[in-house]
Amino acid sequence: MLKDVTIGQFFPGNSFVHRLDPRMKLLLTLLYVVALFLVPDFWGFLVIGALMGLVVAFSGISLRVVFRGLKSLIFIIVFTAFFNILYGGGEPLFPGISWLGWLKAEGVRNALFMIIRIILLILGTSYLTYTTSPVMLTDAMERLFRPLKVLRIPVHELAMMMTIALRFIPTLIDETDKIINAQKARGADFETGNIVRRARALVPILIPLLISAFRRAEELADAMECRCYHGGEGRTRYKVYSFSWRDWVALALMLAALSLIILMVIF
Amino acid sequence: MAKIIEVSQLSFSYPEEDGNPSSPALHDVSLDIEEGEFLAILGHNGCGKSTLAKHFNGLLKAESGSVKVMNMDASEEQNLLEIRRNVGMVFQNPDNQLIATVVDEDVAFALENLGVPYPEMVQRVDEALELVGMTKYRHHAPHRLSGGQKQRVAIAGVLAMRPRCIVLDEPTAMLDPQGRREVMKTIRRLNREQGITVVLITHYMDEAVQADRVVVMGEGEIILDGTPREVFQNVGLLHSLSLDVPQTAELMFALRQEDIKVPIAVLSVEECLEVLEKMLGGAKK
Repeated sequence: MLKDVTIGQFFPGNSFVHRLDPRMKLLLTLLYVVALFLVPDFWGFLVIGALMGLVVAFSGISLRVVFRGLKSLIFIIVFTAFFNILYGGGEPLFPGISWLGWLKAEGVRNALFMIIRIILLILGTSYLTYTTSPVMLTDAMERLFRPLKVLRIPVHELAMMMTIALRFIPTLIDETDKIINAQKARGADFETGNIVRRARALVPILIPLLISAFRRAEELADAMECRCYHGGEGRTRYKVYSFSWRDWVALALMLAALSLIILMVIF
Repeated sequence: MAKIIEVSQLSFSYPEEDGNPSSPALHDVSLDIEEGEFLAILGHNGCGKSTLAKHFNGLLKAESGSVKVMNMDASEEQNLLEIRRNVGMVFQNPDNQLIATVVDEDVAFALENLGVPYPEMVQRVDEALELVGMTKYRHHAPHRLSGGQKQRVAIAGVLAMRPRCIVLDEPTAMLDPQGRREVMKTIRRLNREQGITVVLITHYMDEAVQADRVVVMGEGEIILDGTPREVFQNVGLLHSLSLDVPQTAELMFALRQEDIKVPIAVLSVEECLEVLEKMLGGAKK
């Protein structure tokens, strides 16, 4: 079950999207999110959707992978849709049927709008992490946000923490699966009972997981020290980045889409 | 030969925890490690062998006594970087020592920390991966590799620093037989061909036998120190430390207890066969 979580994972590859400069990808993702939230109507989603389609086509990662990841977020999506329908105003969708009176046109429209927005949001950010190794990603963040050091924000340390967190996601997922199986073998029951019972059943999973995470952290700290880690000072980088024609093409497309949406907002 | 690590009269104890009084983990340990040798440190769990290893590159500081690495005092903060660059360390669990999510990025980690310029870094990463035979996997994610492969990546990450000495703390304890063979082969080759000093901490006898020199520890002290042949003569003593001896030595030991005159430190199967043939009257095939 935990294997299905694909958010935050990286699929190595050599596609157009993979080879974009991570700094550019990060910037593009930020612009993408801005554009997504500016979208005034369903036509706007068409523009974003087309853009996303290009990303999917030129990344070599099938949409199926993403939708497997989406499944774990189904709750948030349903939740959002539910409240949008509930609190939407406007005319009832089916004026003739009285028990469907709460189903208002405006609400359903809003709900659909939000669902599409959330899915596109997840798609966009997922493809960023699918095609960019976490190290590159944090590298890019460190470089893009370097100016913030002036404000005493520990940019390098934050980036390092992110890298490590991302690196340990698969390891800890494996570990969780193992613990779940071990507890099941001892007769633990995670599938029946009401929600309180089930939540309580998670305690014997979380405690061993937490303890082992601390032990791992300690060993990792030793291993890092052994490899001469001493903070961000005087570090050089294995990855050297330079913008290529790909980056400029991608940026041009993004800016075109963004201006189109801004035009939609204005008119 | 020059000494690379000199430990003299080292004692160390962990701070007490939850009312458990601290017992000394190391007691008056003295040990010199020669440049280029392959040293195995043997001992059962909790005998202080890992604690000792952590003193070799300044992860722990001597409580009393001293540790010198290439004539630098390992308790001086300003020496630590230079010491760690020269004495690399590989741990038991490969999962907990890989920092990056792609093999070559992980190998480069130490070089980034040391501020090695980019062109040289690429060259050293290639070289290190080549040495452990993992070049093919350079773009793979570590969590998809086998245990033995992960451990070889960890070794490459240390080799990239071009250390003079590698300390391996039970590097094969979590591996399957195949992974153990891979790792041991890599370690032996590094020692023979690259002249890197190897300190292998282990509780596998068949691994210790491959070393030039074996140090046996028990209760925070060094109990035996010599060539494998010398050390494995003391079958009784090793048993009392709840350590095994190689199966061939075990057999010889049993034969001697039956008053059959055989040499005791027989370490390889071929050698053992020869001895047995001679004992049975030199039957030639």
